[in-house]
Parts: sequence; structure tokens; C-alpha cells
Amino acid sequence: MASDTLADDSAKLAILKDALYEEIRQHGSETRLFTQKDLLDLNIIPNNNVLLLVRVVQGLTDDKLLVGTTNHHAGLAWRWRSREEAKKYTSLPNDETVMVYSIIDEAGADGIWNRTIKNKLNMHEAVVKNCIKFLETKGYIASMKNVEHPNKKMYIKATLRPSERATGGPWFTEGELDTAFIDELEGIVFEYIKTKSAYRGSQSQSTPSSSVAAPKAPKKGIVTASSETLTRGTKRAATDISTDDNLPPSTTTRGPSSKSRAVFLPMPAGYRHYPTVAEIAKFIHDTGITNNTTLGEADIQQLVDVLTFDGLIEGVRVGRRRGYRVARAARQDTVPFHKRQKEREVGVGLDRPLVPGAEPLSNGLTEAPCGRCPVFELCEEGGPVSPSNCVYFLQWLDLEDSVSAAAPSVALPP
Amino acid sequence: MLVTKPVADLCALLIDELHGELPSRIFAILLTKGRSTLPQLVQYTSMTPRQLRHGLAVLQQHNLLFYHLDPGAEFAFYEANAEHAYNLSRTGKILEMIDSSFGAPAKDVMQSLLLSGQTRISDLVAAYQEKIGHANKAGEGFGDGDDFGTETNGINGDSQPAKKTGPLVKSTAQLNSIICRLVEAELIDVVHAKTFESPQDVLKTVEKEVMDKHFPGGVKGNKAKVDLQQRIAEGLRKVRGESKSLKRKLEQNGTAAKRRKLFAGVSMANGGHDEDLDPALDPRQVIRINYEKCLVDLRNRRLVQFASDMLGETTAYVYGVLLKLLTKDVPRCRDDAAMDVAADDDGDTEKGPGFVTTDQILDNLKTSVDLSLGIGKAERRQISSTAAEKIEPYPIKKKALIEQAEVDGEASADEEEDEDESSDESEYDSDYKAPATNGANGANGVNGTNGAKVKFDESAAPKERRLDRPTQLRQHLLVLTESTQRFVRHCGANEWTVDFAPLMSALREVELDSVIERSCGRQGLRLVRILRAKGKLDEKALPNVALMRKPELQQKMLEMQTLGFVHVQEVPRDLKADVKKSFFLWFCDAERSLNRLLETSYTTMAHCIQVLGALRQKERDVLETTKRSDVRGREKDTMRKEYYERYSRFLECERKLFAQVMRVDDLVAVLRDF
Repeated sequence: MASDTLADDSAKLAILKDALYEEIRQHGSETRLFTQKDLLDLNIIPNNNVLLLVRVVQGLTDDKLLVGTTNHHAGLAWRWRSREEAKKYTSLPNDETVMVYSIIDEAGADGIWNRTIKNKLNMHEAVVKNCIKFLETKGYIASMKNVEHPNKKMYIKATLRPSERATGGPWFTEGELDTAFIDELEGIVFEYIKTKSAYRGSQSQSTPSSSVAAPKAPKKGIVTASSETLTRGTKRAATDISTDDNLPPSTTTRGPSSKSRAVFLPMPAGYRHYPTVAEIAKFIHDTGITNNTTLGEADIQQLVDVLTFDGLIEGVRVGRRRGYRVARAARQDTVPFHKRQKEREVGVGLDRPLVPGAEPLSNGLTEAPCGRCPVFELCEEGGPVSPSNCVYFLQWLDLEDSVSAAAPSVALPP
Repeated sequence: MLVTKPVADLCALLIDELHGELPSRIFAILLTKGRSTLPQLVQYTSMTPRQLRHGLAVLQQHNLLFYHLDPGAEFAFYEANAEHAYNLSRTGKILEMIDSSFGAPAKDVMQSLLLSGQTRISDLVAAYQEKIGHANKAGEGFGDGDDFGTETNGINGDSQPAKKTGPLVKSTAQLNSIICRLVEAELIDVVHAKTFESPQDVLKTVEKEVMDKHFPGGVKGNKAKVDLQQRIAEGLRKVRGESKSLKRKLEQNGTAAKRRKLFAGVSMANGGHDEDLDPALDPRQVIRINYEKCLVDLRNRRLVQFASDMLGETTAYVYGVLLKLLTKDVPRCRDDAAMDVAADDDGDTEKGPGFVTTDQILDNLKTSVDLSLGIGKAERRQISSTAAEKIEPYPIKKKALIEQAEVDGEASADEEEDEDESSDESEYDSDYKAPATNGANGANGVNGTNGAKVKFDESAAPKERRLDRPTQLRQHLLVLTESTQRFVRHCGANEWTVDFAPLMSALREVELDSVIERSCGRQGLRLVRILRAKGKLDEKALPNVALMRKPELQQKMLEMQTLGFVHVQEVPRDLKADVKKSFFLWFCDAERSLNRLLETSYTTMAHCIQVLGALRQKERDVLETTKRSDVRGREKDTMRKEYYERYSRFLECERKLFAQVMRVDDLVAVLRDF
């Protein structure tokens, strides 16, 4: 009799379990938490019998179909798990493996560090290792890399894709920051902004103002005689090289002989069509340069911000529109960036670095050897390194092959 | 001026370079030991009083010394005037500026004044009379101070024989008129007794006077304190104003003002006007160069260069004219805290630069300048005139947070069309020149002849073919206004002004940025600017913002930390202050970096001069030969070829090094003085 009721009871329980499980699944996704009240309100358990509910839920939990969690607000609560997943759990050989798997499962798309697993479970390292190995061979979990902690060995459920936080978003490929991709894209965005925010016109060489001529600077070639700055060089078309900006305007000739060259000019004030982030994003999307990565407006904003911080572009507000324009328009290279790249492929201009934007400004300090001197702090008259024995200055003054040996002993001819 | 070791070294070197070793040594001692009396100096230097008096006299003559004599005291206290000593390095720049804005004769006068220190007008006149007489007799040029010339203008020192031209100043009347011009421009002022007292001594004297006169019973209460401050400031201003006495006299005379009206202040240069109109100056007046006002003009030049770097040359030219008009009555770059803060009721010139109207600028522009250049053209419907013409009556305060602008994503079809950038320039030009019906034509000199002086009208017909000159001028001014650096503020309809303080700090930032970019690369600059924009940032947060790899970033940050561009703060998470758990916050303190940059600049200048000294030492046999009276002036003919080559190479190095000192001084001026 007792066994009969027990069998009857268990059959009833099994039905209730199925019914409750199906009903729960109807009522929300895998992440939804169901409290006891929620479960009773499903009207599966007859008479709102709490004891019966406890037994049914216990049964489901044992089958791994329900996962119990404690919620801050509601106290104890459950969420459901799919049957395939539950099957995975039940197919595992021992409790340790189940525990390891459940921890990895809980970590979700962020993945979890193997050391954390060990600490959480307080198990011996070898056991954890074994479990992980087993799970990996079974294909339940996979190892992954997190960009924030590239050295940590992380695991994730094999069915999940690592979260954006773990992969680092569109700028990362295989856990590494894809600087080549970023540089390329920066170049394109910069080029876009440059052509959209500055007027491309031609300007003759002759310039006004002899009275307000810029203070005469020592000629470029003299001042930056060190090899470092020479390689940095100016980034202009070959025809423009003779017309260095540093030449005081008064020395340029005026008249019919002055040829014109292409320059970018700043737009008049109040120009309403400086490109916005949305426009840039649309442009990038339309060109389809990033065929397998989708870039949102936020990503483009990040890129634009970096360009702003680099000092290549600047934000402008005209009315309520927030656009971006190129900084120092008149100093920009009129040859498009990608053309320069092509030039490099055929071997032209390899001596100049390929960076977007105008040549950086310089001042007296950056030109003098002292501004770049590695031993500047030690340099003192009377010390081991001093201005009077400075090799950098000799280089800079072109005095390396200094005369002294073969000089005649008298200055004047007899 | 804060005197640190690099400054002291530099000043001593500069004095050594220009005035010889004796004054330089005394000056160095005065800097290190502070104010001293003659007996004290004897003790410090182990020189005889006679030698010391010689040296002190030289220093005094060039205004490199303050002295103070307490009533009844036996010995005067001497104190080094480091500011003027530093100004020696600006000599060349000041002369060049005078040359370009007042003409070569004025430069010649200024140079004589620089070489001889403060001078009585009669002495100057006598010297010039002698020169003129000499020149008339010999019909030959005179060396205008070739001995010192290397520093002053960098042109001579060449072994070329002096140019066979007559004297630049042809008569004493011309000399008189030149001095009048310079005095009116405040570039020359008058020496009086207080000039030789250090600012602290002047302050003390004024304080004492005020106390004795107005507060014999002591200062009680807040109101009296404020009153005291005001009276002291007034007293100080009076002392300062004394050196302008000559200018005031000239202005009272009336002719100056009248003439200025006639010629509108443009071409004072070549003395086209009648020199006899100028009043004869009191020959007993002692005059000297007013560096403060020179700095204002140098600042204008630097700003013009800045604008030219940022926006373009034509716009910079317009800016230069604006600045010239605006700063005509600005006596100094930075207000003196003791004198000018309380000077609320002192009239406009003391408070701010005032403003300049569009018409004033237009009247002063050269007619040869084509204003259509330098700004792109856009169709009228592409321009929001309300945004461009916005008037900002007050200086802009740093705004907190600007609400995000709405994004109107209307990338119109024609914009898409010119996407293919690869096309040739010619295509572009033809593209844009065809619809030249509107907008300012940026093309070369198309409308140079169109000079109709029509008042700019907001409601002008939209189909206006070409912009007239005032409109073009306005466009340049508006571009300056809209720039991120805020070169100009549109402070009223057709009124323009410049907020110098924020603009100069922007310029300082740009200078710092260019040093960072040149020494740490673009990525270094990026990191610094991120920190500047966001404040303190955790080490872990930086790579995401900068889009840089972590190891590279850390390396760059360390590099910049050693160079003093960024700083790090360690914040422990708990009491144990475990290093592993601590936060590391990066930040950049621009003020600190700038100070360090300044010190570096001083040292760099000193190094340049020291290198020059070493070179002189190395080539001394050659240099000694050139000093011989039979060689001097015809080095090329008399010297052996190898020697002459060495000599000319040395001269070239000398020029480069002095040029470099000047370039670094540009930076110092921006960082410290402007």
C-alpha cells in the first residue's frame, strides 16, 4: 500500500515536474529568475501546496533542469536550463566535474580563470586539471583569451562566444589589439574628414605682408641637421619641396612667375557641413572597408576621439551640429593618403614615414641637440659630459671632421 | 623673475658675451650672494674696489643693476637685475622688429642705444653728429658697431667689407624725429631715479610714504586695508608713470597726435612727413629701451606666426593688423599684480586692450593684399551666418558640459559624389570654378580689382557675385573667431578684441605639445592629451581610450614620466598599501611640465653659448689673427686659404648657435613673458 502510493506519488511528481518545467519555459528566457511565488502563480501545483512545490522543484534541480540562485531582492529563486544542457550535466562522471562545469557555465560569456575555479571550489589543482581536461575533450568547454588579462588561462562554455568585454570589441583580433587595422582606419577617417572639412584650392606662392613677416627662422636644413629629423622630413609632393613654409614670406618673389600649388584652405566661419560622427560611420559602412567587422557609431566616436587627441582634427560646433574638421588645414598634404601608400608600394617616398596629418610643429628646443639629448641631466661644464665636449653639437654644426691636424702653423702667408 | 641656477648661469654667460668677463663675474656673484655692498663684494670676489667699480659702472650703464642707498648709509646695496640681463638675448629680435615696423634708420638708433645702454639725448645726438660729419667727409660708410654686431643682428661678422652706403641717419633732425616716434610707441622711455631701485625697494618706499602720509596711526579694519592697498598701487603706478613723462610731453604738444591722425599710424617708417614738425627733445633727458613694450610687439609677432601656422598667411596678416591696432596702448604683456588689480577706476587702457572695429582694420590693410586668398569658398546656404556672427560680449569662461549636439545625418548626394579623392587637381579646380557665382573665391587673384567699399549687409542679395573687400575681411576675422584657439573675440557688432590670457595659455599648450610630439611621438602626445582632457586616469583605463597596446603604452608612459610630461600617483587600496593592489593614476600637470620646459630652455641656451666658447677656444689661433689691425676687414685677402676657411666655418657656427639661442628664446618668451 505504502509502496503503491509512493509509486503513484512519483508518477504524479514526474508529471508535475514536466508540466512545471514546460510552463516555466513559456514564461521567460533562461536568464529570468522565478521566485517561489512566481512558481506557485503558474497554477501547476494544485492547492498552492508549498510542500509539493518543494518536492517538484527539488526533483527538477536534481535533474539540472532548474538552477537555484539567491537573489538580493527576492531571496531564493530559480532559473531554468535547457534539456540538452541538463543532459550534459547528468552525463558527467563525477561531482567534481559537475562542479567545475557549473562554475564555468555560470561565468557565461566572460569566461573564467582556472585559478578562480580552483579557489572557488577549494579543490586540489590536479583534480581541477583533470576535470577541465575531461570537459575539454568532451567538447563542453573551450579555452579562451581575455584581452584584459592576456596571460590568464580562461575557460568558457564551448557553445558560447566570448563577450565583447573579453574580446575587446571590434579593435581586437584573437585577443590582440589590431593596430594595423586601427591605423588603416584612422588614416581613412582622417582623409575623409580632411577632404570634407577643408576647401581644396590653389594658392600662388606670393604672400602678403613684408611688415608682419614671420621672424626669420634659421633655415630648416641648417637647424635640423641631425639625421633623426632629416628622416622625419616634410611630407609634401616633390614639386613642393623647394617652397618650404619656413622661408620668410618676404623672400618669395611676386609676379607672373609665381606658380600656384594646391593647398587646403580653412572653410569660412559658420560652415555647416563639417562631417559628424554619424556621417563618418555611414561613410565607413557604405564603403564596406570593414567587411567582417561591424563598427557602430560608438566605435567610430572612439576613433575620432583618438584623432582629436592626436591633434589631427578638432571638434567644431556650428549651431547645434557637432562636426569635426582638420586642424591646420593649410599645412595638410594635398595628395591623398592612399595615394601615398601606393607610392610607397612602388618605392617612392620610402624615406618618409607614412602618418596622416601635417608635420608636427617645432620650436627652438626640439631643434637643438639639447632638446633630444639623452644625457641632458648630466651635462654640465666641468663634468664628464659637458657642452664643450658635446658630440651632438659637433654633429649638428657639421664639425665632425674637424680640422686641426693638417692646418698650417701660421695663419698668414709670409 | 625667479632666478634659478640655469637662469643665473645664462645671465652670466650673456653678460660675458656682450660686456666682458669682469661685469659677468660681478653679476654672477651678485646673483648667488644676493644684494651686497662694495666691501662685501670685495670680500666675495677678491678683487680690488677699483676693479669692482669699473665692473659695476658697466653693469649700471646697461641697467643690469639695481642699487639702493639708505639715507645716511655709507655704502649702497647692489642687486642684480636678472630680467634685463636675460633681455640681452632678445636684442637681435627687438632690432629686427624695429627694422620691419619703423625702418632701418630707427633700427640704427635703437642699436646705438642698445650698445651704449642708457644715454643722454645730447650724447646720442653728438655721436650721430660726429658720424654724419665723418661720413660726409669720407663719403664712405661706417661700421655700425661691428664689434658687437654678432649678437645684435647676426648679419655682420661676415668678413665682407662694410657696405659703401651713407649713414642711415642723415641729419640730427631725422634722429630727433626717430626718437620721437619710438617714444610715442613707448619703445623708448625715460630713465629716472627710481629706475635703478629694485621693485621691492620701490614698493617699500611707496609703502612707507603712504603710511606716513595717510595712516600715521596705523591701519585698522578691513576698509582701511583695502584703502591702503589702493593707495600703494596708486603710488606704484605713479612711479611707473614717471618714465612715460617724455611721451606725455610729446602728446601734449599736439603735433604728434595730429600727425598720427593724418597718417593713420601706418607708415611712420620712412619718414615721409616733415621732420621739422617734431619738437626738439630736452637734451638732458636720459633714455633707454623699454623692454616691456618691446615684448608686447614681439608677442604680436609670435601670435601672427601662430595664426599663420594654424590658419594660413592671409588670415595671419589680417590678424597682425588687428593686433597692432589693439595693442597700441597696451604697455605690457602681463599685468603687475601689485599695481593693476586694484586699478578698477583707472580707465580702459589699464584694464584690457579695448577693441578694434572692422573699419579701423580695413583702413590699415595694405592695398596690395588680396583678401580673397586663404579661405575656402562655400555656398551661401552652406553657411550658418547666425553661428558665425555670434557676438560674445564677455570673455568665454570654460563651459561645464555642452549638451550633445543632435546629429543630422543628411549626407547629401553631392557630397557623396566627390568621394573619389584620387582624381587630379585640375578636375577639382574645374569642378569648383564653374559655379563661381557665390562664395569668396579662393582662387588666385580673380577679383583683385574689385574694390567697391560697400558696407557689409547681412540681408544682401543671395546671388551676390563677388564679395567686396569688407566682406572678405570679415570672413577672415570670423575664421579667427571660430578657431579652436580663439584668436579673436567678436565682442560687439563689427568690434573685435583678443583675450590674451587664454590665448597665450593655448599657445603655451601648443608649444608643450610640439615638444612632446617631437620627443615622444604622436602616441605620446595622444596620451598626454587624453590625460589633460580626462584628468587622472587609472593605468588600466588608458589603453582602451588610446587604442594602444598595453606594453607599448606602459613603455611610452615611463618614457614620458622621466621626461617630466606625465606624473603618476599611487593610491593604496587598503591600509597595508600593497603595491600589487594599489591603483596607479596617471595625470599630467601642465604647469609643472611647462616649468621644467622653461628650465630646460635656459640650460639649452647656456649650452649653446658654452659650445660657442669651446669653439672659440679651439680656433683661438685663427681668431687672434683676425683681431690684428692689418687683417681686420680684409680677412679674405690677407689670410691663408685654410685659415680663412676655418675662420668662415667658425663664423657660420657662431651664427647658427646665436640663431639657436634666439629660437629657444622664442619659447622662453611664450612660456614666461607673454
